[in-house]
Amino acid sequence: MSTSRRLYQYAMYFKKPIFIGLVLLTLAVFTDLAGPFIAKHIIDHYMLPGLLKLQPIINLLIVFLVLAIATAVLRYFMFVFLQIGANRVIQKLRKDVFGHIQTLSIDYFDNLPAGKIVARVTNDTEAIHNLYVQVLSQFVTSFISILGVYIALFILNIKMALVALIVIPVIYIWMLAYRKYASQFNHVVRTKIADINAMINESIQGMTIIQAFKREKQMKDEFAEMNNEHYEYQRKLLFLDSATSFNLVSVLRLLFFVIFIWYFGTQSMTTTESITAGTLYAFVDYSTRLFGPIVNIVNQFSQLERSLVAASRVFELLDSKGETVSEVSIPRYEGNVVFDNVSFAYKEDEYVLKNINFTAKKGETIALVGHTGSGKSSIMNLIFRFYDPQKGKILIDGKNILSIPRQSFREHMGIVLQDPYLFTGTIETNVSLRDPKISRETVEKALMAVGGDRVLKNLKKGLDEPVIEKGSTLSSGQRQLISFARALAFDPAILILDEATSNIDTETEEIIQHAMEVLKKGRTTFIIAHRLSTIKNADQILVLDKGEIVERGTHEELIALGGQYETMYRLQAGAFN
Amino acid sequence: MFEVLYKLKWFFKAYWKRYLIAVGLLMIANIAEVVPPWIIGIAIDDIALGNMTPDSLREYLIWLGLIILFGYIINFTWQYQLFGGALSLERIFRKKLMHHFLKMTPTFYEKNRTGDLMARATNDLNAVSLTAGFGIMTLLDSTIYMGAIIIAMGFLISWKLTILSMLPIPIMAVLMQYFGKIVHERYTKAQDVFGELNDSVLESVAGVRVIRAYVQEKKDEKRFADMSEDVYEKNIQVAKINALFGPITKVGTGISYVMALGYGALLVSNGDMTVGQLVAFNVYLGLAVWPMMAIGEMINVMQQGNASLDRVQETLDYEQDVKNPNNPVHVESPISIGFNRFSFQYPMSQIKNLHNISILVKRGETLGIVGKTGSGKTTFIKQFLKEYPVEEGQLTIDCVDITSLSKDELLEWIGYVPQDHVLFSRTIRENILFGKSDATQEEIDEAVRLAYFEKDLKNLPLGLETLVGEKGISLSGGQKQRVSIARAMIKNPEILILDDSLSAVDAKTEANIIENISRVRNGKTTIITTHRLSAVQHADQILVLDEGKVIEQGTHEELLQTEGWYKEQYDRQQLEEVSSDEY
Repeated sequence: MSTSRRLYQYAMYFKKPIFIGLVLLTLAVFTDLAGPFIAKHIIDHYMLPGLLKLQPIINLLIVFLVLAIATAVLRYFMFVFLQIGANRVIQKLRKDVFGHIQTLSIDYFDNLPAGKIVARVTNDTEAIHNLYVQVLSQFVTSFISILGVYIALFILNIKMALVALIVIPVIYIWMLAYRKYASQFNHVVRTKIADINAMINESIQGMTIIQAFKREKQMKDEFAEMNNEHYEYQRKLLFLDSATSFNLVSVLRLLFFVIFIWYFGTQSMTTTESITAGTLYAFVDYSTRLFGPIVNIVNQFSQLERSLVAASRVFELLDSKGETVSEVSIPRYEGNVVFDNVSFAYKEDEYVLKNINFTAKKGETIALVGHTGSGKSSIMNLIFRFYDPQKGKILIDGKNILSIPRQSFREHMGIVLQDPYLFTGTIETNVSLRDPKISRETVEKALMAVGGDRVLKNLKKGLDEPVIEKGSTLSSGQRQLISFARALAFDPAILILDEATSNIDTETEEIIQHAMEVLKKGRTTFIIAHRLSTIKNADQILVLDKGEIVERGTHEELIALGGQYETMYRLQAGAFN
Repeated sequence: MFEVLYKLKWFFKAYWKRYLIAVGLLMIANIAEVVPPWIIGIAIDDIALGNMTPDSLREYLIWLGLIILFGYIINFTWQYQLFGGALSLERIFRKKLMHHFLKMTPTFYEKNRTGDLMARATNDLNAVSLTAGFGIMTLLDSTIYMGAIIIAMGFLISWKLTILSMLPIPIMAVLMQYFGKIVHERYTKAQDVFGELNDSVLESVAGVRVIRAYVQEKKDEKRFADMSEDVYEKNIQVAKINALFGPITKVGTGISYVMALGYGALLVSNGDMTVGQLVAFNVYLGLAVWPMMAIGEMINVMQQGNASLDRVQETLDYEQDVKNPNNPVHVESPISIGFNRFSFQYPMSQIKNLHNISILVKRGETLGIVGKTGSGKTTFIKQFLKEYPVEEGQLTIDCVDITSLSKDELLEWIGYVPQDHVLFSRTIRENILFGKSDATQEEIDEAVRLAYFEKDLKNLPLGLETLVGEKGISLSGGQKQRVSIARAMIKNPEILILDDSLSAVDAKTEANIIENISRVRNGKTTIITTHRLSAVQHADQILVLDEGKVIEQGTHEELLQTEGWYKEQYDRQQLEEVSSDEY
């Protein structure tokens, strides 16, 4: 379905205010267009040299004024109603887009920069906002006005009205031609500005590095290139606009008058048919009222262009396949996890996991060991169903997780990521994520368990200490502790820790380890780490290499095995000398 | 309201030629606009009275034709020049902002959220550039054009009629001014809420994994819905006042028309005016509608432009927190680094983050810094980057205070590897070349080797040409760290700073990298902060920090003897590591 049709569909969600607005608009157009008729009447009947009939003129003028005021009032309410409709439509569109994002799979987010996604929800919808609010209301207002004018012209003089009709196809063809070129230029302009903004954003994030390596000049040069290209294409678009748009309408308008004068001029010289002055007056008046709206329409072309492009991007997003967010709650499962011959690839045929088989019983601690890229993080992604495996099955308590809605079993899972992400808010909201199920007490307890008194000691407001943008004022270690407390507060049946303990000093880590012991009871825990003390106590150690499990067992068993694990351990002990 | 134009006078001065042409032609065009109605008026009189002759008809048509032709050319030219000026302004301001951002240090970025800075670089910039094009046009249209119309009406037709029918204008102007202010206030509020919405969405997208892992999707949606309702409210508030402009114009012009017709009827019946002239007058009134509305538009544009310019200028006016000294002292190469009773506090911090630190590091030495989370290790390191002004104590290089050194020279010596790895959206090669843009292939290979990244590189399909960062693939934490190390190593810096840069690699890899580094960096200074004591075992000096203070200091052996925190950690860590990399 075309973009325009879909925009129309959205408008239909709020047809009441829009409809009322349109009705008021139509009324306003008619009260407005009655004016010239009244003027014509005055001129033809009461405005003869030497003769002045005061009373009728005054009466008619009062009618004229009343109509003008009526038009004004109608216009006011028309504007407000149309705005209400348009704003509601945009609100719905935005909510739909944002809601849809929640259903998209993680790989959408991994493959597209955050800035671009945000642009769809806010900036692009804002362009559509302008479409409804400005473009459409101008289009509709103008269209109805033009219709009214033509009706009036036909009433006055059919032949000239027919001539006037030629204007329409001219405008239409012009609109098509303009859009063809304008859309090319517009595309470049919008792409460039998106790139520029992405660059500004990235530079701000990485400013310390840029400055530490004195790469300011390089950044400036790269930026200049994009900035200039953007400018060039804007200029091309301007050239096009200056040659057409308002300029061309002016030409059309004057041409129309030329024809008008020529026609009526020759008429007056050749035929005996006399045309009243009043008719001429009205004709000129209506012609002016014809081109006003035409100018309005033409002025909207470029905005229309931009908005349609933005709309197509938004609809593209809405069309991408998503999975409904389930609100089904399932009872807390035991936490028995089975990987049955699982193979997985992020990119087609580049398998990062090959034939993974293991069983984790409820409450067991499984340690995943292996060099970077061996597949540890991928296993975690699969357990969470951030991605799904190409081959094999993953079972929780005997049920294939593909058969359970993602949100349902995630309710009883907890995760501590490699890169702790904090939200704007307070320390408390970062632990509870504002979920009403997590009380302040729970937050306090969780923070204590992870050694959080350290985090809070130096902060004046304690739990209520504000956290700004990604927690940039807290140290890396503090952010990890909070992220950890978050996992504890949600009391999961399955817990996953991904290299989370590598940025904390040994002493703090020990405190967490202790808390872990308490927490691990009754929970199945998967740990991806490098610290031996964690791994030593695991019920099962899985040694991964290039996506395959090469060794498995307890620490003692693996040492006895004398394989990769034993070698690693032995070498490590020697690293200190 | 017009202050925005005054604030931009530097721009108008620089592009005076362009603006002279644009303004000049616009004025000519505006004046020329009043000729056709007059011609039409005369023609109509001829037609109505039956006085038209083929000659006079031809004359009218030729004149109109010429005006059409020249009008087109003139209009094209001023439009292109004027709006081109607006585009130039946009480009210039964007460049200024970018250049300014490149000079700002962390203090600035803590006070200004990225989303807000981005809004200034986009929305506010657009509003400002609008004033230089559209703003000027509406200004001239509402003044010169209006003036031309009024003069035409007065001279060509009747002054009395003109004055009478123009009476509503000043009243309308005043009303528009008043409402314009209100619109502006409400509009700013609407923009602010929109900005917040934007920030909120950014967070939801960036933190998507956390939101999903904790099943917060629905709640996130609800929060968004609430915010969008707020946006709706504010927009409607703006709309309610915006809706007044059209009607005000309508009533005003309505009154004008009534005056024109009423008094005009009187004049015509007295023989003081012809019907043709009345028609012309009517056309003029029609033309005058746009300039009257232009007043309202102009007010809008100027006010918004003014507000936005203030915001942009505020950002640009923010002075560097750490300025370069006027006469920097030149130091050939850093022979020694000294901290003398150095104390430091972050601008937003309530406590001192570094207390009274004194230490001397000689060239070629390796300094190790250890301590608990939050003890001040990174803070200590950051002092070298001259990101914050020095307050208490001294940091000297070769006995020259750091405040007397130019940041440029200082950074030339430094190779910095941060704790939070930062890679840019470009190829790995380009990321590494960040350290030395003219490095040879051998130098790149060597840096990769030293950072123990060769194997990973081989496993990447495109090797060095692999795109990373936002647009490319996601490297693991350890891989990012090693690329960052390669980036610093390729510079072969006098002072290498590793801020807990090996936390995501296992101990064995770390040991290898450290060994590589110390081998090639004989005679150069290296500073390492870490949690793993094995990394700084061989350091010439080790500092143990706690809450910003030095609690233990010495070599590895000395610290073991001290039997303090260091020894405790050492004992714990001895048995804790498992190497999980190649051997």
